[in-house]
Amino acid sequence: MINNNVMLVEGNRLYLEQLSNIIRETETVTLVARFRDAKDALGQGMVFTPNIILLDADNPNIMSLLEEFHRVYPHADIICTGEKWSAESSSLYVNAGAKCFLVKPFSSEELLDAIFAFSKPAAGGKEAKVMTFFSPKGKSGKTTLIANLAMAISRKTNASVGIIDADLQFGDMAFFFNLKPQSTIVEAARDTDFLSPVSLNSYFVPVDKNVSILCGTKEPSLIDKVSIHSLETIINMARTMFQYVLIDVPAGFNPTSIAAAEMSDTTYIVTMLNGSGFEVQHIQRSLDIFTTWPDYKERVKIILTRVEPCTITSKQQMEELIGYPVVGIIPNAYLDVATAADDGRMALDLKPNSPLSQRINYLAGRITKEKQDNDDDF
Amino acid sequence: MAEEQINGVIITFFSTASAVGKTLISINMASELAREGYSVCLADFDLQFGDIRNYLRLNPEYTITDLCDRIKADSGSSLMPMLTTYAYEGVAFQVIPNPNKLEEAYNLSPETIIDVLKNLRMQYDYIIVDTTSMFSVLNLALLDISTIVTFLGIVDFIPTIKNMKIGNETLRTLNYDSNKIRLVLNRSDSKTHIQLKDVVSILGEDFYHILHNDFISASESIASGIPLVLNGQDSELTQELRALVARYTNKGYQTTETQKKNSWLSKIFR
Ligand SMILES: Nc1ncnc2c1ncn2[C@@H]1O[C@H](COP(=O)(O)OP(=O)(O)OP(=O)(O)O)[C@@H](O)[C@H]1O
Ligand SMILES: Nc1ncnc2c1ncn2[C@@H]1O[C@H](COP(=O)(O)OP(=O)(O)OP(=O)(O)O)[C@@H](O)[C@H]1O
Ligand SMILES: [Mg+2]
Ligand SMILES: [Mg+2]
Repeated sequence: MINNNVMLVEGNRLYLEQLSNIIRETETVTLVARFRDAKDALGQGMVFTPNIILLDADNPNIMSLLEEFHRVYPHADIICTGEKWSAESSSLYVNAGAKCFLVKPFSSEELLDAIFAFSKPAAGGKEAKVMTFFSPKGKSGKTTLIANLAMAISRKTNASVGIIDADLQFGDMAFFFNLKPQSTIVEAARDTDFLSPVSLNSYFVPVDKNVSILCGTKEPSLIDKVSIHSLETIINMARTMFQYVLIDVPAGFNPTSIAAAEMSDTTYIVTMLNGSGFEVQHIQRSLDIFTTWPDYKERVKIILTRVEPCTITSKQQMEELIGYPVVGIIPNAYLDVATAADDGRMALDLKPNSPLSQRINYLAGRITKEKQDNDDDF
Repeated sequence: MAEEQINGVIITFFSTASAVGKTLISINMASELAREGYSVCLADFDLQFGDIRNYLRLNPEYTITDLCDRIKADSGSSLMPMLTTYAYEGVAFQVIPNPNKLEEAYNLSPETIIDVLKNLRMQYDYIIVDTTSMFSVLNLALLDISTIVTFLGIVDFIPTIKNMKIGNETLRTLNYDSNKIRLVLNRSDSKTHIQLKDVVSILGEDFYHILHNDFISASESIASGIPLVLNGQDSELTQELRALVARYTNKGYQTTETQKKNSWLSKIFR
């Protein structure tokens, strides 16, 4: 087993003591050296052969220090520690070679998460592709879509995928996976000021090798506990934790759906065709709002569910009616998706070759390969 | 002799799952009440994506936005001339359409909308209100001001049923009289393996009324723009809708058949 030899570099005297004690109490980890002065650590630390360095990011010279530590200790993981997480500075640190960021004071568990669990492929500076699934009206099939798509993306590419259930009154993603989560978006929002991506990670519930979910509120009144600001912070952190982030939001335009869409690389307008034809109008009404974004063509995409027959002709007809490209169509598969969800399973797993699975896999391919959206591509 | 001012009955259709039939049923309730001779106003308070104007093929001159503007300018003004009429074969009622533009919908104030309702309820026997599926500020205010709230449920897959349960429990925490909230099940026998009894057991409560699944009638009515209770096809669903209205008006609904029976019965028991 590899030793976890930690060197603590901490300018604040009180933190130095407090963090040292926490590290000493943490199993499987050894505190091999500690320094208040970063220059000492750079000059003397190698005698102790640390392979994990906790570096005080509240030091005003942190950026140049990171560079030097990286040069002197090329094989050690550098974990930045600071009093508060922020998206901008944290991504600067990660780009400068830090593994991740921990908020001080951290717990033993958080430290272990930072050392072990958080060796996700997302680390390494590249940020996740963030997608919001918006629907004008409810019952669009978007939760079903997100759940299956997340699985399909991770299986295709082995990428890490995070789902955020921000359908703040009636989020039911947890039911789809039969989860009884200890922590949800409510606890995450409550704690955002003390969290970093490493510690937020423990609020996500893993459902598959590379897929985990930040579950929604347990009852509608809890919506008040999730401020837009904390939701934004959560999305920003998730961006550094995963390679793909899929966000479920309440139907229609509301502060939650707008904030999530604003922060996303892509917003999918998801609508279920129920045969009345008025769905087209609802999509167009929504497009009227989204097309005020200057880059809406790249950012706003349409997915139709329950398309019958699920053919390229139907897709083209709908594109013509709507007057906007449709990137994906999902067939009518009520019994398959309902049976799967009632069982806490994915339709994608139960019938991997069904037309539904094929269309979902196609969409996953499109998302991961970032293929050009061609009209005639089906 | 000055007429007594009376406040009409406000019936709101609410649910915590979408696409359960709020719009279809509220339209039919308004139509049936109008058919029975009541003065009726139907309000589309699904402000962003309201379907009443779609299902009834309306081309409104004024919408709730205009009504709100008017009442803000003069709280006592008469709003009736600004309503949109729906009429079919001699049956007519008034509609408050949702805004034309999404931005308007997003910016309307719930208080002003309630003021509009308070103004109009002095003019109508019944105001029927269609809503969205969430506990918004507007919806909570509508629940408060309503005489009867119909909480609509549906037999769907487990996540929906669980959300219905949470929604129903939340509704109960608002402490309305139990008579005020009526649990109605729509599309009771839709194709899914969840059974009515499962829904009842998850909800922990019986339904006040049950409407059957009749996708063809429902779709045809929407496609033609004519409510089920007016289109002359006396389907089972139509009868169940009439029966629901009768229970709300306390009149005891009579189909032609039972009417005959009743008159016969009434002769015996006179
Ligand atoms: N491709 C599909 N074909 C047929 N039925 C579907 C399909 N996808 C979802 N459904 C069904 O539609 C209903 C709504 O699905 P889902 O919960 O995924 O939608 P949603 O947009 O998340 O709804 P909500 O408004 O409750 O959040 C469910 O009964 C589900 O089984
Ligand atoms: N009893 C029924 N049998 C069959 N289909 C029905 C029935 N009631 C409603 N429907 C169908 O269900 C769909 C949803 O109905 P409706 O639009 O009235 O629901 P809603 O609760 O207003 O939805 P939303 O929350 O999206 O506004 C419509 O396509 C309608 O035709
Ligand atoms: Mg959903
Ligand atoms: Mg509706």
